[in-house]
Amino acid sequence: MLTLVSRRLRNSLVLLMLATLLCFTLVVSAPGNIAVLIAELRTPKATFADIHKIELELGLDQPIVTRYSHWLTGALQGNLGISYKTGEDIGPALSSRLPITATLVAGGATFAMLFSFVLGFAGALWPGRFADVATRTIALLGASMPSFFVGALLIYGLAVQLRLLPTFGSEGLSSWILPWITIGLLPAAVLSRVVRVGLEEAMSRPFALTAVAKGLTRRTILVRHALPNIAPTYINALGAQTGAMVVGAVVVEPLFALKGVADLFLSGVLFRDFMVVQACLLVFISFFVVLNLLVDIGMMFTDPKLRRQGS
Amino acid sequence: MASKEILRVSDLCVDLFTQRSVIRPVDGVSYSVAAGETLAIVGESGSGKTVLNFAPLGLMPTGVNVDLSGSILFNDTELVGIAEPALRKLRGGSIGTIFQDPMSALNPARTIGRQIAEVSELHMGLSSSQAESRALDLLKLVRMSDPDARLKQYPHELSGGLRQRVMIAIAVAAEPQLLIADEPTTALDVTVQAQIIALLKDLQKRLNMAIVLITHDMGVVAGIASRVAVMYAGRVAEYGPVGDVLVEPRHPYTMGLIDAIPRADDAPGSLFRGLPGAPPILGAPIPGCAFAPRCHAAIESCHITRPALVSTVQPLVSAACPIINKHNHGGAYVQH
Repeated sequence: MLTLVSRRLRNSLVLLMLATLLCFTLVVSAPGNIAVLIAELRTPKATFADIHKIELELGLDQPIVTRYSHWLTGALQGNLGISYKTGEDIGPALSSRLPITATLVAGGATFAMLFSFVLGFAGALWPGRFADVATRTIALLGASMPSFFVGALLIYGLAVQLRLLPTFGSEGLSSWILPWITIGLLPAAVLSRVVRVGLEEAMSRPFALTAVAKGLTRRTILVRHALPNIAPTYINALGAQTGAMVVGAVVVEPLFALKGVADLFLSGVLFRDFMVVQACLLVFISFFVVLNLLVDIGMMFTDPKLRRQGS
Repeated sequence: MASKEILRVSDLCVDLFTQRSVIRPVDGVSYSVAAGETLAIVGESGSGKTVLNFAPLGLMPTGVNVDLSGSILFNDTELVGIAEPALRKLRGGSIGTIFQDPMSALNPARTIGRQIAEVSELHMGLSSSQAESRALDLLKLVRMSDPDARLKQYPHELSGGLRQRVMIAIAVAAEPQLLIADEPTTALDVTVQAQIIALLKDLQKRLNMAIVLITHDMGVVAGIASRVAVMYAGRVAEYGPVGDVLVEPRHPYTMGLIDAIPRADDAPGSLFRGLPGAPPILGAPIPGCAFAPRCHAAIESCHITRPALVSTVQPLVSAACPIINKHNHGGAYVQH
């Protein structure tokens, strides 16, 4: 178990380096020049000499490899560099935004889990009945609507028309409800299908008939016999969906005026502030690496075959 | 066979409705089982022997609707038309079940110990720690090596024979009066088959339970059963004590089945004997004897009226064939 985790972590570090190198190269080779933008900010009529001066200041004349290794040395020492746009240290800005994105994604994932278990289980317990049909309808709607549309719909309905919930701000739980639903609805829809279909498949396998022959009720068979069998699949899907939620945050954070990492990332991209972009990507990639590790550990705990291999 | 009768099946018909079709795999079957005895139900695949036993217990795959008619008395309880909660109490309690394929009949995600213990928890009202220690006793009862370690293992860590022992432990966990074993040895190696049959015989003696053994293996029948019912196309062709039916069969189908078993004195290189033709496809009702199209002794009336299962010259044996019985020992078919 521990050896597997440590082996995974070691592989993850290599993965992290390669991923950041790839991102760095892509961001740097994207069209647009930050020096031009900064020069225009400073003097409306900037000359080539001004721009060149700024390029030298920022070290933009160096080759990519030099710039990457320079960035990497800093990052390994906890120094993520300075924003080209604001001239501020990126580290503190990032750490003040991290809790907001973390709250958004964790809340969305929790919502998706609760929603998917309640609906998926109800559908499997009463197949073909109201709960099942409702689940399928909600799941279809949830899976078909993009999050910016869901968000706009929720803001219009619950906040503007009914005035039940605030549309932005971060005062207390109520301001989080709309963002959580917006970011969590698609994963909730997908996961509730995973639960519903997984339970149905498990109930058609021979061991479910053994459980019937034991005299257990359908509900007990679902909970004790079918559920443990879908756990690995569910954890896998939950991992993938949580990962997708980070992408969703890029849409949801601006929509609800949340100043999170995804919002910072977006402004970085728009201003070609690739030091900011690179720092945000580092956060995202680290998140994915940790997420994958958690999924692997979770699957090991729920799949007896994998568990014996891991120990 | 003075012990009391615990199961009496009379004129049982089973109709199965799926989304596309209606079939009658069990058509007017009657038999009885006494406490502590073993009845073997023999027949080829599709003869209805599994449906006969599982449909009344509600052990059919989802999506299949079952319609029962006739009567099944289990200890004076009528099982045809019984309410699901009452039936649930019998399943796993007074009636234990063993399935054909131990590879897939156990839950891969739960430990052996939990899968055995939950039966005693449910039917004997034991606490989870009591049930756990009973599970250990049951593993010893089915003669598992290293039972303490087995409790914490998962099905994929056991061989087929060991898994079938676990299935047996589950089936007898609540000390049932009746054990229904659906081809318990078919999926196992020959050496393991003998062990499982020996184990079943031993358990039967200890727990005084009746066994209904569904099989197509005549060797298994001879080894364990006291009486045998031979089924063909959803009907009982012949029914009686094993010694009589296997040694001196009176129905042409039983004769053919027994004759088809390869013998030690068969000439090397000789062909396997078999019955000509194929069993009928269930669906359209068969007016006459279902076996008539394949039967060497059939006459015209065989195709028109269904023969009743009646006593033969040997009173303990019944056969559904008026032709052979008329000629008494129809020895022309089989030479022993």
